[in-house]
Amino acid sequence: MTTPGLTQVLLAGILVVIAIAVARYWRLPVIKDMAFGSVRGFVQLVAVGYAVRFIFDIESPWLIMLALGIMMTVGAHAASGRVKSVKGSFGTCLAAILTGSLITLATMLVFKIISFDARYIIPLAGMIIGNSMNASALVIDRLASDLRANRLAIETALALGKSWREASQKFHRDAARTGMVAMLNFLKTVGIVALPGAMTGMILAGADPVEAVLLQVIVAYMLLSATTITSVVAVELTIRRFFTRHHQLRIDR
Amino acid sequence: MAVTGSILELCNLTRRVGDGTPARAIVDNFSYSFGFGRLYSIIGPSGAGKSSLLRLLNRLDECTDGSVKFKGSDTREFAPCELRQRLGYLFQTPHLFDRTVRDNIVDAQPHLSESKISRLIQQVQLPSGIVDAPVDNLSVGERQRVALARLLATQPEVALLDEPTAALDPANTEAIERLISSVVTDHGVTVVMVSHSRQQVVRLGGEAILMVDGQLIEHGDAVGLVKNPGTPQGRRYMNGEPQ
Repeated sequence: MTTPGLTQVLLAGILVVIAIAVARYWRLPVIKDMAFGSVRGFVQLVAVGYAVRFIFDIESPWLIMLALGIMMTVGAHAASGRVKSVKGSFGTCLAAILTGSLITLATMLVFKIISFDARYIIPLAGMIIGNSMNASALVIDRLASDLRANRLAIETALALGKSWREASQKFHRDAARTGMVAMLNFLKTVGIVALPGAMTGMILAGADPVEAVLLQVIVAYMLLSATTITSVVAVELTIRRFFTRHHQLRIDR
Repeated sequence: MAVTGSILELCNLTRRVGDGTPARAIVDNFSYSFGFGRLYSIIGPSGAGKSSLLRLLNRLDECTDGSVKFKGSDTREFAPCELRQRLGYLFQTPHLFDRTVRDNIVDAQPHLSESKISRLIQQVQLPSGIVDAPVDNLSVGERQRVALARLLATQPEVALLDEPTAALDPANTEAIERLISSVVTDHGVTVVMVSHSRQQVVRLGGEAILMVDGQLIEHGDAVGLVKNPGTPQGRRYMNGEPQ
């Protein structure tokens, strides 16, 4: 493969033109989104490329942490935008993403699986935060809709003298599982149905496939840890918003 | 704990909801005393606040003002989970957990003996063989009886029943009414029941309370109140006229 340059990127734009032509022929109402999305994606990625190169060159721990902070905040903002009906979801998403990401990254650093080097930290954190962001949004959305849909079941249990935790236990577990299901499915099909991104990237860049696979295994475990912790924290923080300290369900009737 | 003559004493009980100024009162300055081992029917038009009042007694909702005393002590002094076992609540549409009849009863009271479960099943007039049946296979009337058995399993001192016969046919309604009477007379439980049916209130007897717009309008002997109401609102309600 030719090392990608601006010419290759512009040529790859032919694919966008083909996609837009197909959409136009089928009168799909997404042509504007496709055109803007392609340009915006290009600008964002190029900007990130330069930003990451800058961080790599400086190699300052503070700059790395600042980058992580920005990534997590933006991730939490994007996730909470998908669950606007739940009050305080930004704080919940931020706390869940922060906990899941930091515990996972810290474990990898403590056990020297990776070194504190921007070249490792930034891309891996990007994967962790991206997956944690999706997990937290899915968990909050599922939990909120389950609690609203099962009001009678929950209040029946409360009326029988159960605590709020007992009364809503089933819904905690279902919601946490929802946050992890994409990762669990990924683990089931990895290498059989799809070759995941990190591994594909390394192979395309000319790395030994076995080395690429080993890195991918680390990435998979890392994401499993991050999404699990994020999901559980998101459940724990969200569920408390739905109950009072007197074990009363707090959903407007 | 100082035990007074009332098992439940409501003093200026109020619950306001909504963002309006002032917020709308769905239970408004409600004061009343419920005696031990008696039957009370709360009647009134839709939206009168009857169910909201029951929810305040069981503390499923919090009052905005006023208080409820249970055997002389403010219900806020009790742990909510303990209070709710002593003041059992039956919803209009009973929710049974997705397992067998036995599981539902044991779920409410985990250490029940086999003989106690059988007695409860017998008490609510269900066939003994039903105990291991999945609840999905039950009729509406059977489900309501299982819900009642589950409530009785916690041995409540007060049973708060929110229109327990609203979804039942006449035969099942009659059976549940007999059960309610026996819970009061044979077991000494105080029953506070919301009802939409004036005929039912007369059949069950006891005391009746008329509620309109969250307020207590009048109360007294059930038969007397239904047949001979003492207030204009009471007469309008009993004649089926709008309030």
